[in-house]
Formats: sequence, structure tokens, C-alpha cells
Amino acid sequence: MVPQRGRVGRAEDLRESHLQASGARVHSLPVVISNSKLQPAEDVRTELALEGRWLVVVLNDPVNLMSYVVLVFKKVFGFDEQTARQRMLEVHEQGRSVVWGGLREKAEAYVFTLQQWHLTAILEHDETH
Amino acid sequence: MMKRIEVRLALPVVAPLLDVIKEVADDLRENLAAPPDLADLESEFRDAWVAELLGGQNREVEALLALFDEEFFSEGIVAFDSDNAETIVRAAAAVRLQLRERHLKPLGDELLEGGDINVMTLEEKPRKAFMCYLFLATIQELIIQHLDKSILDA
Repeated sequence: MVPQRGRVGRAEDLRESHLQASGARVHSLPVVISNSKLQPAEDVRTELALEGRWLVVVLNDPVNLMSYVVLVFKKVFGFDEQTARQRMLEVHEQGRSVVWGGLREKAEAYVFTLQQWHLTAILEHDETH
Repeated sequence: MMKRIEVRLALPVVAPLLDVIKEVADDLRENLAAPPDLADLESEFRDAWVAELLGGQNREVEALLALFDEEFFSEGIVAFDSDNAETIVRAAAAVRLQLRERHLKPLGDELLEGGDINVMTLEEKPRKAFMCYLFLATIQELIIQHLDKSILDA
């Protein structure tokens, strides 16, 4: 699928359809994944694991062109040229750049979209929040 | 009016590289070019995630291979426009990542990133792989230089 500015990839759809298929509930905020077979204590642990602020981190790879990474950042996040270049240089020089932070579900969707572009992107829980 | 660029390639140079690209494309049917770290996702969701990525990657690589059709072998021309620019630029990224994985790792990432490699010193297999790697980078640069607006506006 072709990612579009203002709408990240299919991870949100994937999660929703997966949860519906498995009979799980999807709450709005914070994201809660639960299953009727689970004990309440497990529900709470899942909720705690998913809530809070999540970071989308892009890691350096020795292959993708700088101009390509800049294009991807502009496309996926709507960054202007300067911001996109700044983030790309962080990836290149420091090995990683935090390109977005926020709710887990949205962060997953950004990671998915970046992976569609073959960048090495990971989710990290923001321990400062 | 749709912007379109046509690139005339030297057939004797590019045609021998296509076997390497096809070989790598075969690898990519079942393997992601940049395997994601999805350890903290539930297994079913992770499987769906990977399957979706793999499906997209396969469609992209097929589109890249389709550029080298009968017209290419008779005219030596490949064409890019707003319809295929994003797909091809992504496919080229996937194939370049897999070229590194399969053939170019022994060169070392620093050398690969710097690009300062004397191809004449390489054995035939890594030499062809490195030529493919450069060729696909050139295609990416051309698309980004001329069709970036098409990609951003799509």
C-alpha cells in the first residue's frame, strides 16, 4: 500500500482487525488489549505496558541513501527539508534519531510505515514520562 | 501533465547485472530486506505485520523487475513517472539492502557507506553485486531528483 501524508500505514488497521478477529476489545485511550480468558491482573499489566508515551526511533543503516532517508521523513512525517535533513544527519552521525513521540498505537503505525520504506525503525517506551 | 523521465541504459553493462538482481529478488520473496524488531508484539499481530510488509515488498520488487521488459532489451530505455516512482525507489532500497546482506557484507559497512571501492579489485560475484548496488542507487537518485514532488504529493 502507498502511505499518504497525514495518514500513516496499516499498523492501526492491522491491530484493529487482529483484535477484532481474536475477540479482544479495543479501547480508545489508553490502548488496552484484553481477552475474556485473561485474568484481570494480566489485563492491568498489559494496559500498563502499552500506556504512556512511545518513541519512534530510526536506526542507521549503511545502505540507504541520505537523499532517500530525507524523502521518507518528508513523506511520512510531513517534515520540511531542513527538519528532515537534521533528523537524517542525527541517524547518520549518532546512529539513531527519535522522529516522533506519542501514543503507542500511532507510534506503531509510524514504525510500520517506515518499515514499508525499508528503514530500520523501532518502538521505544519513553522512560522519562 | 504527468512528469516522466526516460533513462537510456547501456545494455551490455546493465543486462549482466539483471541476473544478480533477480537472484536477490528471489531472496526477498520470503525475507524482509530490513527485518523488523517486533519482539514486544503479540505473536499473531507480529505475523500479520510481517505478512503485510512482505506482501508490499514483493509487489515493489516485481514492479522493479518488470522495468526490464522487451522494450528495455530492444531500446535500452526504462521510464519513471508518478505512477511508479515511489514503488521503484522503495524496491531499489529493498534490493540494495539484500545485496549487502548476501554479497557485500565482507567489504565492511564503512567502506560500503563511503563508496570508495575499487571494483577491479573485487571477485566477479561481489563486483557484479556492487555494480548492481551502484546502479540501483543511481536510479534512486534520478527518481528523487526529478520525481520527489510526485512522491510527496501522492
